[in-house]
Amino acid sequence: MAFDFERSEELSLLVRTARELAEQQLAPAQRDSERARGVADDLRRGFDSVGLSRLELPESLGGAGLGALARVLVNEELGAGDPGAALALDPAGVALYAVEELAGEGALGELIAPLLDEPGARALLALAPDGLDLGTERIEARLPWVAAARCDLLVLLDRRRAVVVREGLELEPVPGSGLRAAGASSLSVADAPVLARYEDEAGASRALARARLHTASLLLGVLRKASEYARAYAQERVAFGKPIAHHQALAFMLTDMHAAVELARLLVHEAAWWIDQRRDDAAACAACASAFVEVVEASRFIGPAGVQVLGGHGFMQDHPVEKHNREARALSLLLGGVDAAREDAGRVLAEEAAPVALSTAQGEGEWTS
Amino acid sequence: MDFLIDAEMGRRLAAAREWGQAEVRPVGREADRLGRPIPTNHPYFEKVLARGDARTRWRPGSRSAGSAPPRSGRSRSTVMALLLAEELAYWDRGVGVANPGPGLPEGNVIGAGTEEQKERFLGPFLEPDRPRWACFAMTEPGAGSDAAAIRTRARRDGDGWVLDGAKCFIGNASRADWLLVQATVDPNRGRAGQRAFFVEQGTPGLGGFKIEKKSGLKAYESTSFSLTECRVPAENLLGGERPRSDRPEGFKTAMRTFNAGRPVIAANSVGIGRAVLDEALAFARGHGLLGRDRVRDRLEHMKRRLRAARLMCLKAGWLAQQDNIVEASLSKAMAAQVGQEAATFGMELIGTVGARGDHLIEKLYRDVKAMDIVEGTGQIQRMIVARKLVGLPRG
Ligand SMILES: Cc1cc2nc3c(=O)[nH]c(=O)nc-3n(C[C@H](O)[C@H](O)[C@H](O)COP(=O)(O)OP(=O)(O)OC[C@H]3O[C@@H](n4cnc5c(N)ncnc54)[C@H](O)[C@@H]3O)c2cc1C
Repeated sequence: MAFDFERSEELSLLVRTARELAEQQLAPAQRDSERARGVADDLRRGFDSVGLSRLELPESLGGAGLGALARVLVNEELGAGDPGAALALDPAGVALYAVEELAGEGALGELIAPLLDEPGARALLALAPDGLDLGTERIEARLPWVAAARCDLLVLLDRRRAVVVREGLELEPVPGSGLRAAGASSLSVADAPVLARYEDEAGASRALARARLHTASLLLGVLRKASEYARAYAQERVAFGKPIAHHQALAFMLTDMHAAVELARLLVHEAAWWIDQRRDDAAACAACASAFVEVVEASRFIGPAGVQVLGGHGFMQDHPVEKHNREARALSLLLGGVDAAREDAGRVLAEEAAPVALSTAQGEGEWTS
Repeated sequence: MDFLIDAEMGRRLAAAREWGQAEVRPVGREADRLGRPIPTNHPYFEKVLARGDARTRWRPGSRSAGSAPPRSGRSRSTVMALLLAEELAYWDRGVGVANPGPGLPEGNVIGAGTEEQKERFLGPFLEPDRPRWACFAMTEPGAGSDAAAIRTRARRDGDGWVLDGAKCFIGNASRADWLLVQATVDPNRGRAGQRAFFVEQGTPGLGGFKIEKKSGLKAYESTSFSLTECRVPAENLLGGERPRSDRPEGFKTAMRTFNAGRPVIAANSVGIGRAVLDEALAFARGHGLLGRDRVRDRLEHMKRRLRAARLMCLKAGWLAQQDNIVEASLSKAMAAQVGQEAATFGMELIGTVGARGDHLIEKLYRDVKAMDIVEGTGQIQRMIVARKLVGLPRG
C-alpha cells in the first residue's frame, strides 16, 4: 500500500459513531459525571450498545477485533467528550493490553472478557512502583491515585513481566484533580496473592506502548476540544471592536494551539500504524513513547491556553476549558508520565545504528544555470 | 547596585512568613477543600483585624496621602510591599484577596475621591470595628479587557444618579460595605464618558449576587451582580460632580488601579511559583529523586525563572516613581507565565500524587492560571509593552 492519509469506510463510520456518542451524551453530562464521580446508567447503555467496550477484543471472544488505529480514532472522540467517562465506561481499559501481549487470548477470555458483562467493572493497569519486586508470591504496594472508584482486577507491569492481582485491593476515595467521572482513589495492595504472573520482555514493552497510545489519544481528544472550544469562543467574543480571534496575538495563539494538536495527532496515528503493523517492536514502542511525549508537551501549552483565550470566563466552571486543563494534567501523569516515555523513546534512539553524518556529504551533481 | 534584602526588610518578611504559615495557608486549603469562599464570620478574619491588617492607609487630613507621597523612600517602600505581597501569595494568594480591608478601590478613592468621600468611605476602615470589605467593579459579562466598552449606564436623575447594568467576577462584592462601580455617563464619549460611583450595600436595585464557581483561588468570592434602577445620591460620584482639573478623569483613574496593581500580581505569581518550587524540592528530596537529571533540570529551570521574574517585578516596583509602564507590564506578563510553568513542572514532578487532588501543588496549579488573566491579561500586557517598544497602534 502506498503512503495514504485516507481512512477506510469502516473507520470513518466508527469515528462518526464515537463522535455522536461523545457530543450527544458524554459532553453534555460531563459536569454531572464529574460531580457524581461516575457515569449515569444511560450513558453506559449508550456506550455498550454501539460496541465501544469491545473494540479491541478479538472476534473469537465476541469483540470487534479492531486494532490500534481504530482505538486512537475512537479515543480522540471520547476524550473530546469526556475522558473520565471514557475510562469509566471501558471495564477492560488498558489492562487488556498487558493480558493480551503477555498472556494471550486464553487469559484474555478468562480474566478480561467476563468483566465486560459487568456494568461498572474496572480492570486497572499500573506500572510497578519503584522498588516493587513483581517476582514475589504476594504483593504489597500503594498507588497514590487511580482514576477509579472500583477495581476488579489489577495488572502491575514492569519491564519484563506482568502480575495479576484480584484480592487484597483496597480503594480509598481521594478528591481527585481530573478524570473524576472515572472516580478517584488511592489504591493499596495489601499482602495480595498473585493470581497470575507472565514473563515476556517484548510483550511488556508492547503492552506499555499500547497503554501509552491509549492515554495519548484520549489526551489528544481533550486538547482538540480545548482548542476548538477556544477557537469558536474567540470568533464570537468581541473586544476592541472585533472578534478577539482577529487580534493577531490571539490569532497566532489559536493557530499554535491548532498546530500543536495537528502535529501530535500525526504522531499518534503513525504510532498506531506501527503497532498494527506488528513488524518492528522497537520502532512501534518508540513511536508510542514519542507520541505520548508530544501530546503531553502540547498539553502543557494548550491546557492553560484554552483557559486564557476565554479570559476570566475560562477560569469559571461554566465553561469546560478549566476542566480540560485539569484533565490534561491528570492524563499526562499516567503510566510513569512524560519522563518515563521520554526515557523509553531516548533508549531506542540510542540503540539505533548511527546515521551517516550528512555534513560530510559532498554532492555529485553539476550545477547548470 | 545592591540586591541585598536588609535586616529590617528581612524582619518584616519573617513576620509575614510566620503569619502565613500559621494562619493563611491553613485557611486557604480549607476553603479549597470545601470549594467555597471563607465565610465572613470565620475566626480568621477576626485575627486579621486584630493584627491591624484590615485598615486603610489613608489618614484624615493628609490631603494627598497615597497619591503624591514624598519622593524619597517611596520606591523602596514599594519594593517592600511587593516582597510582602509575594510572601503572602506564597502561603495563599486567594486568602490575600479575601482579607478584609478597602482592597482594590482604595488607591482610586485616595487619589480621586473628595475629602468627604474619603471620610465617609475609608473612615470606617481606619479602626474597623468588624471585618469590612470594599470592591471595585469594572468587568462586565460583555467587556473585560476592553474596559472602554462597558455598558453599565449612569443617568442623572434629579439630585442623584440611577445605575443600570451588570458586573461579573467582582472580588468580595457580596460582602462589601460599598462597591465602587465603573459606569458610563456619556456613551458618546467612550472612555472619557466613564465615572465611578459608590454603591452602598443594601441600596435598592443592587442585587442578583451570584458567587461563581472557580477553577482555583476559592478562598475569596468572585461575584456577579446586577444594578437595576439603582439610585445613588450625587455625593456618591467619585471625585464629585466636577472633578478638579488636576484629578484624572474617570477612565484614567480606573486604569490607574490596574497599573499600580500589575507588579503586585507579578509578585503574587512569583510567590505561588516559589511555593510550588519548595513543595517540589521537598517531594524530590523525600523520594530520593534529586539525583535524576530530568528532575534536577526542572527544579533548576523553575528556580532560575522565578528569580528572574522576581527581579523584574522588584525593578518595576523600584521604578514606581518614574515611567515604569514597560517594566510593570513585562513583570506581570512574565511572572504569570513563569508561575504557570513552575506549577506544570511541579505537577509532573510529583506524578500521580498530584492527580489525587489533595496535594498543595495541585491546588497551586489551579490557582496560578488566574494570574495571567486578572488586572489585564497577558495579551493586554504585551500590547502595552509593544506600544512603547515598537509603536504598536491602538485598536
Ligand atoms: C479570579 C478573578 C478575579 C477577578 N476580580 C475582578 C474584580 O475584582 N473586579 C473586576 O472589575 N474584574 C475582576 N476580574 C475580571 C478580570 O479583570 C477580567 O476577567 C479580565 O480583565 C479579562 O477580561 P474578560 O474575562 O472579559 O476576557 P476578554 O477581555 O474577553 O478576553 C478574552 C481573551 O481575549 C484576549 N484579548 C482581548 N483583547 C485582545 C487584544 N486586543 N489583543 C489580543 N488579545 C486580546 C485576552 O487576552 C483573553 O485571552 C476577575 C477575574 C478573575 C478570573
